[in-house]
Amino acid sequence: MINNSLGLLYPKITQLKNRIKFKGEGSYTKAFLMVGFGLAFWAGLFIVFFRVLTYFKGIEVFGDFLAAKLLSMVFLTFFSILIFSNVITAISSFFISEELQLIISTPFNYADLYFSKLTETIFNSSWMVLMFSLPVFISYGIIYEQNFSYYVFLIFSGLPFVVICGTLGIGVAMALVKYFPAKRLKDVLFLITIFFVIIVYFMFRFLKPERLVDPDKFFTVIDYLSALKAPTSPFLPSQWVTDILSSMLFDKVPGTAVFNMLLLWSTALAFTVMLGWVFNAVFYDAWNKTQEGKTAAISINRFFNKVLDLILFPMSPPGRSIVEKDIKIFFRDTAQWSQIFILLAIIVIYLYNISVLPMEKNPLPTVYLQNIISFINLGLAGFVISAVAVRFAYPAVSLEGDAFWIIKSSPMGLKRFLWCKFWVNFIFLVVMSEILIIFTNYLLKVDTMMMAVSAVTIFLMTFGITSLGIGCGASYPRFKIENIAQIPTGFGGLLFMILSMLFIGSIVVLEARPVYYFMMSEFTNVPVSSSQWVSVSIHFGLVLFINILVFLLPMKIGIKKLSAFEKL
Amino acid sequence: MIKLENLTKKYPSVTAIDNISLSVDKGELFGFLGPNGAGKTTTIRMMAGLVKPTSGNVFINGWNIANDPNEAKMITGFIPDRPFLYSKLTGREFLWFAGRLYGLNKEDINKRLEPLMELFNMEDYVDNLIESFSHGMKQRLVMASSLIHKPKLLIVDEPMVGLDPKGASLVKKIFREICKKGTTIFMSTHTLEIAEEMCDRIGIIQKGTIVAVGTMKELREKTGTEGEKLDSIFFKFTGGDEIGEVIDSLRF
Repeated sequence: MINNSLGLLYPKITQLKNRIKFKGEGSYTKAFLMVGFGLAFWAGLFIVFFRVLTYFKGIEVFGDFLAAKLLSMVFLTFFSILIFSNVITAISSFFISEELQLIISTPFNYADLYFSKLTETIFNSSWMVLMFSLPVFISYGIIYEQNFSYYVFLIFSGLPFVVICGTLGIGVAMALVKYFPAKRLKDVLFLITIFFVIIVYFMFRFLKPERLVDPDKFFTVIDYLSALKAPTSPFLPSQWVTDILSSMLFDKVPGTAVFNMLLLWSTALAFTVMLGWVFNAVFYDAWNKTQEGKTAAISINRFFNKVLDLILFPMSPPGRSIVEKDIKIFFRDTAQWSQIFILLAIIVIYLYNISVLPMEKNPLPTVYLQNIISFINLGLAGFVISAVAVRFAYPAVSLEGDAFWIIKSSPMGLKRFLWCKFWVNFIFLVVMSEILIIFTNYLLKVDTMMMAVSAVTIFLMTFGITSLGIGCGASYPRFKIENIAQIPTGFGGLLFMILSMLFIGSIVVLEARPVYYFMMSEFTNVPVSSSQWVSVSIHFGLVLFINILVFLLPMKIGIKKLSAFEKL
Repeated sequence: MIKLENLTKKYPSVTAIDNISLSVDKGELFGFLGPNGAGKTTTIRMMAGLVKPTSGNVFINGWNIANDPNEAKMITGFIPDRPFLYSKLTGREFLWFAGRLYGLNKEDINKRLEPLMELFNMEDYVDNLIESFSHGMKQRLVMASSLIHKPKLLIVDEPMVGLDPKGASLVKKIFREICKKGTTIFMSTHTLEIAEEMCDRIGIIQKGTIVAVGTMKELREKTGTEGEKLDSIFFKFTGGDEIGEVIDSLRF
């Protein structure tokens, strides 16, 4: 019998150690890239906050007030993110986790299970938020010249704050699981999370932060920010932490800090004890309900099948089997629907950004600017297509999951299988990219030449982007991950985005000169010279060569790597 | 039908299969036995084209699986030990999927579907999502799908795991019937009674090497265990004789 919480956490801690100890092939490169990427993001966040706070500090009278308001908003955001993240993590760790079968079959102790799961859930849902909150707090510490005691207070107030968020989140999860099957609940909550993130982004986007660079509107924005009524309820733990840090940063009144600190710790401890009572009362029944929720009634739409039959009729049986399976699974797997939300959000945000560009305010001639923006738009559209491809084309192979043995042992061949995945994704991406580029160019009112160059370039680039997506996905398959949203978060997804950016960047750079010649010729009414034609041919030749290379090479590498993959 | 030629599979830390050679004739039911970790599944996965040998060759009906994998796979049906399937498809949809993977057209699949569902008693649940299937139901579905293209060779890894007695008896009957009609079956199993009852010939693998091949009669003669059951022969080759002493030391 495992008789303490640490004992129940032992497998988690040991597995983490073993992951470091038994490193696979290429894991140093992966770790290096992931750490590098994380550090770059961390540094970027630090620079942004450092600049914003330096700027606030320079504003007389209400600079400190703005900094305090920002701190309050930061903690309120953390408070909501942490609660939500704990709800989702708790559903998995408390109710779905496979180890529960083993633990519950042993003479386990409820209190030990509760404390081990509480620690696991709070750690898993908070570490990343805490890690990326550090640049914010360090910026505050440096700008407002804090000493060691600020960081000590930060740690001692942060810890109970995280525990309060965790217990609240886990409490909500327990209440929900008592009434709904955990597996479905997790999918639905995942969709809500994405929806929530999109709404937050839109709220931010509709505030039009670009107005900050417009001196005419600058003071209106500052007025607006000062008027923002961030909730400052004395009952919110986020406000208690804000008050502790604010008293050190701005007021220098330690008395308030001590009171709020006591409030945080006593609440955290009380919530931990009370949640323990709830756990004892509801856990076993709720867990049983989770087990029962495995079977699902299904409906099969005959009309849908007929339409599918009609569309896929011309395909060969093996190719059709793959496409039909993928489509049916897509419509039945709620986790995959989240991808559609993300796709729509990316497109709407992109179109909105293009539509609000203040081109009339620029000193450059409008026609000239429209063409330059259209050219930049080509790169941006490529980026949007890559962002969509990383969510659709890249996970296409990994989505076969543990059932990949069926494909590998079939006579279909991996080459045919991958090309099948390629064409399905290509058709979807090329239609989307053409609509996107034509519609945005229409919004930008560009001329016919630029419209044609953009349409042809994006058409060619989509071959490369799709091939990179399928190729990288086949080279670094993640068959053990069931959730499509998690598949692109690994090394292969990162590699795809980097390669894709390099590819798009090289095409845009190579096309810049020929487009410039054409534009200047149109602008000055002087025909393109013969030497310029030579340069144009070389540049377009290189564009074509890179496109063909990026179209064929990733697929070839993907087929080779997937054939050698044996961890089935 | 099957020819393994100096087959070797090495992993960085272990040699899983060490230079084995073996032949199985058309219409034969060959039982592949061995203790856990002996190399049965690795051998089977190499034959199914899932794992690439480090050296040596696998020939299926004359096709080298390394050079002509699709031709070899076209005449093979594979049943793995763990039936991982697409959980969001229904049983029927999965059978259609499998049929099309092997290049069958609509008419062929339609003709084969009903008899297979009847044979494996799947009519009641075949239109439910696979995620609601028990292990045994999934196992039956995989078996049905492996037979949809009328394979000449059936490679089976632990066929009886997860099947109830009725299912196990059904599978035995089906295997015997298809062997009679000329299909070759290469089957790994831990259930010695099944191997003894069903197989024409038996191969025993131990630590990646084949230690014995032959009919029951030949194996008995080799070990001098006339009249004894297969488990005695098995323990003679794999060294399981000492198990009694181990159990004694544990004092159950």
